[in-house]
Amino acid sequence: MAIPTHETSHATPDSVLWQPEVEAHDDLAARTLGFWLYMMSDALLFAGLFAAYGVLDHAYNTAGGPGARQIVHPLDGFWQTLAVMTSVFAFSLATVAMKMRSRPGVILYTSIALVLGLVFIGLEIADFRALIAQGAGPDRSGFLSAFFVLIATHGLHMVFGILWMLVMIVQVARSGFTEHIVARLLNLRLFWQFQASVWVCVYAFVYLRGAF
Amino acid sequence: MAAHSRDPLTHPEVRQATTGGYAAGYGVSVILMLGALLITQQHVLAYPTFLWLISSLVVLSLFSQAALFFGLGLSPVQAWKSVSLILALPLFVFTIGLSVWMFNSLYPRTMPAMNMNTSQPTLLQ
Amino acid sequence: MPVHLQGPWSPLLGRLSLHAIPYNNSIILFAFALAAVAAVAVIAPVLYFKKIPYLWREWITTVDHKKIGVMYIIVGLVMMFRGFFDGLMIRTQQVLADGPHSPHFLDALHGYIPPYHFDQIYSSHGTIMILFAVTPILTGLTNVIVPLQVGARDMAFPYLNAVSLWLTTVGAALVMVSLFVGDFSAAGWVGLIPLTELPFSPGVGVDYWIWAIQISSIGTTLNAVNMIATIVTMRAPGMTWLRLPIFTWTTLSTNIIGLTAFPVLGVALALLSADRYIGTHFFTAGQGGNLMLYTNLFWIWGHPEVYFLVLPAFGIFSEIIPTFSERPLFGYVTMVAATFAIGGISWLVWLHHFFTMGAGPAVNTFFSVATMFVGVPTGVKVFNWVFTIYRGRLRFDTPMLWCVGGLFLLLIGGLTGMMLAMPAIDYTVHNSVFVVAHFHCMVLLVAYAIFGAVTFWFPKVFGLQLDERSGKLFFWTFSIGTILVFVAMFGLGFMGETRRLDYLYDPQWLPLLIIQEIGIGFYSLSVLIFCWMLYVTLRHRHAHVEADPWGTSRTLEWLTHTPVPFYNFAVTPQVNARDELDWRRRGGMDRKLPDGYAPVHMPSNTMVPALIGLFAFGFGFGMIWRIWWMAGFSIVAVIVLVIARSFQKTPGYILSTDEITAMERRVEGSSIVAEQPSRPPLVEAEVH
Repeated sequence: MAIPTHETSHATPDSVLWQPEVEAHDDLAARTLGFWLYMMSDALLFAGLFAAYGVLDHAYNTAGGPGARQIVHPLDGFWQTLAVMTSVFAFSLATVAMKMRSRPGVILYTSIALVLGLVFIGLEIADFRALIAQGAGPDRSGFLSAFFVLIATHGLHMVFGILWMLVMIVQVARSGFTEHIVARLLNLRLFWQFQASVWVCVYAFVYLRGAF
Repeated sequence: MAAHSRDPLTHPEVRQATTGGYAAGYGVSVILMLGALLITQQHVLAYPTFLWLISSLVVLSLFSQAALFFGLGLSPVQAWKSVSLILALPLFVFTIGLSVWMFNSLYPRTMPAMNMNTSQPTLLQ
Repeated sequence: MPVHLQGPWSPLLGRLSLHAIPYNNSIILFAFALAAVAAVAVIAPVLYFKKIPYLWREWITTVDHKKIGVMYIIVGLVMMFRGFFDGLMIRTQQVLADGPHSPHFLDALHGYIPPYHFDQIYSSHGTIMILFAVTPILTGLTNVIVPLQVGARDMAFPYLNAVSLWLTTVGAALVMVSLFVGDFSAAGWVGLIPLTELPFSPGVGVDYWIWAIQISSIGTTLNAVNMIATIVTMRAPGMTWLRLPIFTWTTLSTNIIGLTAFPVLGVALALLSADRYIGTHFFTAGQGGNLMLYTNLFWIWGHPEVYFLVLPAFGIFSEIIPTFSERPLFGYVTMVAATFAIGGISWLVWLHHFFTMGAGPAVNTFFSVATMFVGVPTGVKVFNWVFTIYRGRLRFDTPMLWCVGGLFLLLIGGLTGMMLAMPAIDYTVHNSVFVVAHFHCMVLLVAYAIFGAVTFWFPKVFGLQLDERSGKLFFWTFSIGTILVFVAMFGLGFMGETRRLDYLYDPQWLPLLIIQEIGIGFYSLSVLIFCWMLYVTLRHRHAHVEADPWGTSRTLEWLTHTPVPFYNFAVTPQVNARDELDWRRRGGMDRKLPDGYAPVHMPSNTMVPALIGLFAFGFGFGMIWRIWWMAGFSIVAVIVLVIARSFQKTPGYILSTDEITAMERRVEGSSIVAEQPSRPPLVEAEVH
């Protein structure tokens, strides 16, 4: 019998066949990876919406109604940009507070992020109401359908993020930093930062390009 | 799913949070978008230049967010996130780019001619 | 701003009324009777043997990946039977309705099915076969096998896995309900636009189609997240990337596609729903809508979906062929590369489904060339399998027969696919049954792989081998059916028969149509033989089965007991080679057991996923019939459930060393079909 090396062509009585002392799987890393994968999926959802917007942002698709130039206001959009960015910054600071084991810090920064998220949603709703009042609602033309649905989908994500923040404030206050809660805070950070990334694309390609 | 008594707050993904990094990410993103806003408000650039410039600012902003917000990199906890993002990036380009391209080649062949002076440029013009 | 609908609507029942039940249609009455008999045949023994508590505790609330996989496969097989029945009706209608002098029965002008009903049948046939039969069965197979192949105790997220299962089941249930309450879409499985728009399909059929697909594809996306995370994070020690079994590799690739392609389908359907529910103009013919945008978005998903189906089939071939050739797989690294090349190229070819749209020559050329490129990695795979067989010690057990049959289908389907990749040919045969025959070869290749895989892994899961004799008979009758139906269909395509015809105008097609009808007769026979096979297998269920019943299996799932205990591996195996079991067997170490056992932590069962499924059904049904209170209540209930569960502590339970030692001695007691004693959950303090 050949002398066993680490690359034998078959098992020998000395081979290690079982590992009773396997170190525990890193649950936290698995959960953030899983959530990140979900976000890739979500990003493709936005890619589909951007593709639809890219196709429908054409003179043929305005059906005689207003085009992008008539309805977007880059400066107003910038206040929304500022709101979402600052909110993301605030929630990121909440996770810094978590690193410092500060429950009040987490709750404080999460509340700031939540309020700024509400400001963003409020601005968006005001914007939509004004457009619908002008007769430029989503049922006016193919272009406006794409415009509304793209932005509203992002807004819906923001609403879910706000709901999630509410839940996390309660959970952190009640139970502190258990493994489940830490994992949720990390995932919420990913989710919230991701909303900023999507908004950058929306702002540049819908508001700024539309205003050209 | 094994039960273990590790303190979750010692996990590297918790430890990677830093005020400085997030402040930098925030600052860079806001300044880049402010720059993009100013370029738009000037109305001096030709459309292709404008589009390239805006797109570059977006890409820069997304890069800064990937590095400073998401903290992506090659460390063991982040490597798979980076890999999955890199694998997904071409799909965004295919989905949006090829769709816009095919419809831009479709419209002149199937739609009645339009007076293009009154309309806005499309993504590829 | 919900759109104003014509016809009655009430706040309590929406559009639902007694007229929605097609009691005056004799075909549907027959289907209803059949379904009722089947339901009684299933429910009566459950009630008689008092098995409801068992079903609840061991199956409905389970988070065990093997049970979830088995339930996926059962849902898929039931739906496949339904889809087959639709196929049988289509074939029979066409053979009866050929030529102006064709006979007529019931209330049809030609054949026995009126056009509107016929349109629903082919639409449900396509939707069911692709999304509710083949997809769940493959998901189920990967669920059962992949955690075992990577040496894990469960998936990365067992609870999420159960949620995925129930969402898929809800989709299938909605399709089945549409048969008896209301009607199904009559606009093809692809949702031919603008036929799916409200003015042209004012009924609930399209809504059934939309919500069934939408809800089940959320399940598929969540399952993809789970599967990728499992493969990346849960591999046993020593399981390096280049030791990963090919089936796991193809599962990874297929789930990357699932993760990224299904959201685009979601967008296409959501925008269509926006058109139908709130009056937007994405795909309308006027008001600035663009109908081809729908087709574009649908096929951005649709083509990757084809590879979503076919890649696991390739993985199954790559497991079965080496086992029954008694040789390692030829060209492992090229096989992995080819898998990912196919997955990547699948994102660049979707326009070949609508070359005739009229995009410019540059666009058509790009997609044509990209399509032909798919042939290169696929060719690599075929040659790898052939070289594996070459000079192997071949055995033709039933799984191997299915694989060899599948290879022939791949050859025919692949070569006709190359023909269709050329726009010039595509313009000629577009929308003919030539295309239908081509893609049936490809999807049937997946079905062949599925039957092979079910036969191959059945003993591993249930501890009894499927009857070989009737299994082979099943293979041969099924294959004769395939040849008769689809060779004739290629011919009819060349003769000019277009798709989706309820009446065929050319009497010269009749001989080929009759051949097809004989073929579907063989298919029907094979269904009966399949049932007979299950019966014979169950009758001989006490035969003892080894850990590796085929004797020459190669990968990790065959290392643990047969049937697999619910904890998979009592001790995590150390992986030393690519074909670990083969490596151990050649050293005579394949039966060497671990020296001792340690306690195992397991997740507890939960009823939350099944409840989420229930409310998802309520949401879908409410949206379809526009019962707003029901849809609103259900979606709020789902959100509340998810939040409430996040407040629940889910510590799981511990299997003690004694329990494991006892179960390892008497494996039947730990099998997934055995009833387990209830174990107290851990107290939170023991976890943290």
